[in-house]
Amino acid sequence: MGNKNKRPIFLNLLRIRLPVTGVVSILHRVSGVLLVLLLPPALLLLDRSLADPDAFEACRRLMSTLPAKVLWFVALWLFVQHFLNGIRHLLLDLDICIDRECARRSAWLALAGSVLAVVAFGILR
Amino acid sequence: MNIPGARSSSQSGFIEWLLQRLTSVYVAGFAVYVAIVLLVCPPVDFEAWRGWFGSGFVRLGWALFVVLLLIHAWIGMRSVFMDYLHPLWLRLSVLVLTATGLLALGFWAAAILLRVAP
Repeated sequence: MGNKNKRPIFLNLLRIRLPVTGVVSILHRVSGVLLVLLLPPALLLLDRSLADPDAFEACRRLMSTLPAKVLWFVALWLFVQHFLNGIRHLLLDLDICIDRECARRSAWLALAGSVLAVVAFGILR
Repeated sequence: MNIPGARSSSQSGFIEWLLQRLTSVYVAGFAVYVAIVLLVCPPVDFEAWRGWFGSGFVRLGWALFVVLLLIHAWIGMRSVFMDYLHPLWLRLSVLVLTATGLLALGFWAAAILLRVAP
């Protein structure tokens, strides 16, 4: 008996076109894990900045270096992305924006919003 | 076999699901509050920074934030490991390492919060 199922059985990531809702879903996971990995350096920074005036100044100097700035903006994007997509998931749990079109639009909105927030922060700061 | 406190399969994971959502609301709200404070009136020096951080309600807010964030992180990491780590020994070891690490972060944060007490 042959397999009558004509669905492709490959798992070639380059040939699977993931819809935007799938992209933000996996992004939510990835950003969550990365944010957890960023907790120790964040706590270290908090610890030092609250220790004494010299350590505070050292933190400020460190944060004005290029690598620290890049890492900070990456962390900010990860957080805002996780934040906006989290709100999206909470709304989906409440059956709000559950149909495909709306879910797609909100996925794009969360993506665009996270990029926009980082740019806005870069300009405002 | 009856395990005390065990949940039936239809309820299994429900508490985690609910906690993940409840913790996210506080963590997100507090993050917005901190972002507004830092954008509107950024602490200019060490005294201002420590003064803001050390005040009663702010410190209480941070303490709650840390606890709820660690619960959120634990449930999130746990579901990722349960999805991708299949050998039981590997999953258990990574879960134990993660729990230890998160617990250590919690105690560290507690030490900071106690130290900045006015």
